[in-house]
Amino acid sequence: MALTITCPICGKRNGYEFRYGGVEKGPRPNEEGLTHTSWCDYVHMNECVAGIQQEWWFHRDGCGVWFTTYRDTTTNLEVEKPEVDR
Amino acid sequence: MNRLSQLPTLRINPAEKISFSCNGKIYQGIGGDTIATALYANGVRIFSRSMKYHRPRGLYSLDGESSNTFMHIDGIPNVCAEKTALKEGLAVKAQNIKGSPENDLLSFMDKLHWAMPAGFYYRSMHKPAIIWPFAMKQVRKMAGLGKISPSFIMHGKYDEIYPQTDVCIIGGGPAGMSAALAAAKHGLRVILIEARPWLGGGYDYRASEYDSGMPLHQRARDLAKKTEETPNIRVFTSAAMVGAYNNNLITAFQVGSENDHYNERYIEVRAKSVVVATGCIERPLLFENNERPGVMQIGCAHRLARTYGLLPGTKAVFSIGHDLGIETAIDIHDLGLKILCVADIREDGQNPKLVAALKERSIPFLRGWLAIKAHGRKILKKVTLSTNQGTHHREYNCDILVASAGMTPITGPLIMAKAELTYDNHTGFFLPTKLPAKMHAAGRLLGLNHPLTIDASGRHAGLLAAADCAADVQGELKQAHEILDQLPGPERGARFVIPPVKNQKCFICFDEDTTIKNIDQALQMGFDVPELIKRFTAAGTGPGQWGIPGHNLPLYVAQCHGDVDVSPKPTMLRSPLVPTFIATYAGANHDMYKRTPVHDSQKKAGGIMQRIGIWRRARYFSEDFSCRDEILNVRKNVGMFDASTLGKFRIWGPDALKALQRVYVGDMSRIPPGKVKYSAMCNDDGCLADDGVVVKRGEDDYYFTTSTSRAENTVEWFRYHTRYDGWDFHMVNLTDAFGVINLAGPNARKVLEKTADTDLSNEAFPFVGYREFTLSETIPVRAMRLGFVGELSYELHVPSSYMRVLWDLLNKSGEEWGIRNFGMEAQNVLRMEKGHIIIGSESEQRTTLHDVGLGFLWYRKKPEAKTVGSFALKDTEQQKGRLKLVGFKMDDSSRTPEDGSIIVDSEIRGFVCTARHSFTLGESIGLALVESHLAKEGTQLEIFEASAGDKRLNATVVPTPFYDPEGNRLRM
Repeated sequence: MALTITCPICGKRNGYEFRYGGVEKGPRPNEEGLTHTSWCDYVHMNECVAGIQQEWWFHRDGCGVWFTTYRDTTTNLEVEKPEVDR
Repeated sequence: MNRLSQLPTLRINPAEKISFSCNGKIYQGIGGDTIATALYANGVRIFSRSMKYHRPRGLYSLDGESSNTFMHIDGIPNVCAEKTALKEGLAVKAQNIKGSPENDLLSFMDKLHWAMPAGFYYRSMHKPAIIWPFAMKQVRKMAGLGKISPSFIMHGKYDEIYPQTDVCIIGGGPAGMSAALAAAKHGLRVILIEARPWLGGGYDYRASEYDSGMPLHQRARDLAKKTEETPNIRVFTSAAMVGAYNNNLITAFQVGSENDHYNERYIEVRAKSVVVATGCIERPLLFENNERPGVMQIGCAHRLARTYGLLPGTKAVFSIGHDLGIETAIDIHDLGLKILCVADIREDGQNPKLVAALKERSIPFLRGWLAIKAHGRKILKKVTLSTNQGTHHREYNCDILVASAGMTPITGPLIMAKAELTYDNHTGFFLPTKLPAKMHAAGRLLGLNHPLTIDASGRHAGLLAAADCAADVQGELKQAHEILDQLPGPERGARFVIPPVKNQKCFICFDEDTTIKNIDQALQMGFDVPELIKRFTAAGTGPGQWGIPGHNLPLYVAQCHGDVDVSPKPTMLRSPLVPTFIATYAGANHDMYKRTPVHDSQKKAGGIMQRIGIWRRARYFSEDFSCRDEILNVRKNVGMFDASTLGKFRIWGPDALKALQRVYVGDMSRIPPGKVKYSAMCNDDGCLADDGVVVKRGEDDYYFTTSTSRAENTVEWFRYHTRYDGWDFHMVNLTDAFGVINLAGPNARKVLEKTADTDLSNEAFPFVGYREFTLSETIPVRAMRLGFVGELSYELHVPSSYMRVLWDLLNKSGEEWGIRNFGMEAQNVLRMEKGHIIIGSESEQRTTLHDVGLGFLWYRKKPEAKTVGSFALKDTEQQKGRLKLVGFKMDDSSRTPEDGSIIVDSEIRGFVCTARHSFTLGESIGLALVESHLAKEGTQLEIFEASAGDKRLNATVVPTPFYDPEGNRLRM
């Protein structure tokens, strides 16, 4: 895999060591007031950005930390945090 | 054939004789030979037949750029004979023939070209549809290269390595070596990948002058020595680069020699910076029968002579477009080959010194001429030369035609790495105009020809790569740049000439038998982009990929447009750039698995071990795979089962409870002291993820188990679902630190009482109780009274290092109570009789907690915990149209359906999860997931099973548990 991910604890490592955890969507919503649709949106719907997105990764074959990083989906490369966070 | 000797460039050892067979005949080659050169030395000219037309094919490039010399070698088809080292006893066969390579019964296909215009396969085979099955069969019989036996097993050792480096250099020619040395001088780690078995590239076999009297081959050897002696340069020879990806990931495969521990090895290099110095190949000259054996490229003829000591023939004609061709003609002439004529496609621009040298040797030299036809039915007999315009012709009788239209850069690595390439009119090359970050190009592939320039460009690129790795090279880089500027730059390349003949058999791609006429047909049909023409005519889709047609195709297409604005566009290339064994990608065949601490004890006791998930576990303890005795012994006496694969965890800390509440559906705040709590985990869709038990061992300190398959994911699961909360808890995976023995059966207590230091009576340690005590005054035990198999049982958790002792102890204590081991299969039947589920057997991706009847585990009054799956559980509680878990009994108790059989009426209504004959009950019973309207007790189910044919098996839905529904036996 050409992708490398920078773990906040272990540093830059081969992408094989990590598990993808989805796009950053914010904390779990409160159950009160949730509807079918809003819950489904939170769990399953993604923007599918062509470009830079913030996403969760788990260092499975390493220290076992969940963290977010930024990746350009068009090049499949990890990138610096963009100036203006979307 | 006699070999040349005494040449300093030779890479052969005539003293070492190597015997091998080809098409049943025994031949002899010598040390250093490839299979192709050994065959050539033995007079073999036709190596195989082409795919479509069955035309004879022979040596053309010596670098494997086409399938011409793909042969069947030791059972493996499509092995490139020109790149495979000769070994004693190899059995070689020609491919794609019926008969012999010289007399192929299918050679009539060559006359049928009119029936196979471009894209005929796509266009003609589908109408009328009725002929398609017949036509497909015939085409498939004829098409394809090489045959493999269905029972063929690939032998050999395949290895893989994943080195990291500062600088990776692709190409071990002069530019690549100069780059490696420049970067290595700054202490950087360098990896150099070279496809041939030695360093040297294009200098290796050339005798012309490098500088002040030193021949190029000497320069190559000096550079190679220096490179190999530099400790921080790691050289991989016989290593073809096959892929370049972003982030400077380079893949290659290396062919092992006799002394290596591998046959082939996959290499994945991750580099901070990459230098591409792959050099050039030759652009094939287009003329009629341009692939007739006897026609070969400059480098092929030159290397045959200089590297392998073989003069390619007796009389040769050269039709070339580059000074290298003239240089080679002179050199081979001096080595003893008669050169009848040198035709140069260029009208001017030749090096005057070389022209004078031809004159000195009285070799006729024709400017603005080229070969237009090769004669000879099977091998070359005669050549027709013509002026570029077709105005004058000459014919020569000869057995060798050295043909080459000019040079073309090997841009495969650049194209794969998504460099921007633009056609350059001066050099006639596709040159990189924009390179990816931290990638540099150097050497001949930039159109450079002067040896000093090639060296200097390598040095310059090596320094640029060093700069990428933060080496302090600014001063040196400036200097290198200045030197490069003062040296001669890229040279003018030969222009593209469409041969002045109307011809049928002028091949642009050898692998796929694509002719210029096929390209014309595609153009007439409106195709205008090379990429699409490539697909439609199949030019360049063969194993040679880019090699033969890569450059000519876009040039030809651009020329045919006749529009000056249409600049040629290269076509895309994909990995692997060079054909590779799948075995090489697969790598070593290690069967990696885990063993429980009592693996050996179980094996000794007759356990039949099987791979289940990541473990090898005891599935049976006798040859009776129904496990009748194992099962009945648990029901009557006592059995012991190795459950060490269960996931085991400790979670503790001030927020541990919050985390448990988040992932478990039950109310984890109410775990009674001294008791276990059974609960389940769901995913966000309310579907069952895991089940297990939790005990509270102290304040904010819990011990819990998960199913075997979830042991690897549980820590990740907890941390994922609490990742926003910042809670303070720790988790440790104790799966491998603890082993588990499940002691089950009516005599279990008696066995344990013998060595336990605590009261085990039903009152002191009741069902679902949890106790910690010591066995034999030594072994610390965490014991749970659970009933997975439906009997009085103790799940004993002990540190792994005590497991073997515990195993022996229980065996000994249980002797008088009839203790026996039981395996996975017996446990599976026992628990099924009890109606207990195994996640993954009685559930699938879509199965919710409600579907398997475990909805009661869900505690709905903790919304503040935001429990994973709770919202979906609410949502699906009354949902219609779901599959529900039911128990069933077969009407014919002697007939048990296979697991996974489907339940049908006019449609599929569900499937059997687990079904077995129950020796305990004398019935055939099972668990199934069925549509809810079939879930009612007493419903008749029809089961379809492939082995039963049209006949359906009948079953009736019955309540579960099948065995001991009141649960008395667990509470004994």
